[in-house]
Amino acid sequence: MAETPQALTLAVGDRVVYPNQGVCRVTSVESKEVAGQTLTFVTMKREEDGAVVMVPEAKVRSIGLRKVATRPEVDRVFAFLRSDSDKANLDWKQRARTNVERMSQGGLLGLAEVVKGLQVLSELRPLPTKERELYDSARHLLVAELAASLDLAEVDAEDAVDVVLFPPGRERPKRTAEEFRTATGEEDGMELGDDLLEIGGEMELGGEAEAEPEEPEVEVEEPAVPAAKTKAKAGGKPKAEKKPATEKKKAPEKKHAAKAEKKPAARPIAKAKPAKGKPAAKAKTKTKAKKK
Amino acid sequence: MIRLVTLDAYDPKVVDRLCKVLYTAFGVGCEHAGDMPLPAGQSEPFDAQELLKALPSPRAYADDKILYLTPRKLKPRSLLSGDVPCSGFANQNGPRALVSSAAVKDPEAGLKQIARHAMHQLGHTWELHHCLDPRCAMYPPWTLNYDAGDTFFETFCRDKSEQRIRLAKS
Repeated sequence: MAETPQALTLAVGDRVVYPNQGVCRVTSVESKEVAGQTLTFVTMKREEDGAVVMVPEAKVRSIGLRKVATRPEVDRVFAFLRSDSDKANLDWKQRARTNVERMSQGGLLGLAEVVKGLQVLSELRPLPTKERELYDSARHLLVAELAASLDLAEVDAEDAVDVVLFPPGRERPKRTAEEFRTATGEEDGMELGDDLLEIGGEMELGGEAEAEPEEPEVEVEEPAVPAAKTKAKAGGKPKAEKKPATEKKKAPEKKHAAKAEKKPAARPIAKAKPAKGKPAAKAKTKTKAKKK
Repeated sequence: MIRLVTLDAYDPKVVDRLCKVLYTAFGVGCEHAGDMPLPAGQSEPFDAQELLKALPSPRAYADDKILYLTPRKLKPRSLLSGDVPCSGFANQNGPRALVSSAAVKDPEAGLKQIARHAMHQLGHTWELHHCLDPRCAMYPPWTLNYDAGDTFFETFCRDKSEQRIRLAKS
């Protein structure tokens, strides 16, 4: 997928591809003094809108800057688009990770892989918003590079890609989750259930969702039981702070109950030991009496 | 603003209705900017790209989009990966688009089809790419059942076109 590392010598006037940015033209290669160090910077202008990017020459390779694809590379891309490699990964986390990698380091073929992968997936179900954006962005970069490489108008390059992806006169295939499962799911054991496949377009791919524990939902629902009961039942349940917002409006004695529950939270008490909850309840009634 | 230029005589009702559909689709004004003769030296079926180059522009502001409507046939386009039937042409982010109504016998009855192709080509002028949703007007127009579709943009395409229109300087 990634290109083999090789020396990339850039000269003024060269057309290069900056990952995730598009086709740029090198406008100057000059030395500048930054914080006491003399560095050589490559200045590029994005062809699409004229935005200027400066990259230290030493970082050119590591950021994935490359020359515009050559004709054999373009031919390989069209061969890939025509091929039957049309199995999408159903695991959205894995898919997102792979696609980001392909976009930044995969070269022209990587862009084609993202476009084809998401197009195939869209034949199963509509793409979530983030992936629809990714699809558009990958398609834009692919078309721009193809147009630059073949010296075509962008519209011709896009149509050339789409004639392969959406052949004239052929019905759009309708796919089932089963097709994808046999191709990807069994290998890595990362299958998605039918319920998850039905998720609509607002799926967030951020890392926060991954970090969320699975259990709290059950515990949050419990406080609907009157406060005294919960004290007796739960004893040292360390989840008093996770009560739903509606509970805050309830009687003030509930607040006390919550406070009393916080004390045993410091101790690692297991749920299965309700006896230890009793002293906590007693202590709380004492404090109540004092206040009165 | 979308300025519609007819390259042959059209029923004013058809032109009015087309303007209304385009206004609804893009949320920008659309008006008929008059008729124009076809450029000399070209014959039917026309090469869409050449025809668009040769057509004169009506008076328009910098961010206006000009849509030429013709009942003449357009030549299939030869692309790197094959030939495709051509119903119109527009350059990405270009100011002008061309649409042919040759596939429609009665423009009044087939207005929806003409409008869908017009939306597609105008979409390209606002930098929209082809869409994945077969219901969307930005779906590749050479596909089966495209002509039977509605004058509709999928949410992503609609948002993107609105964003482009908002960014227009004039």
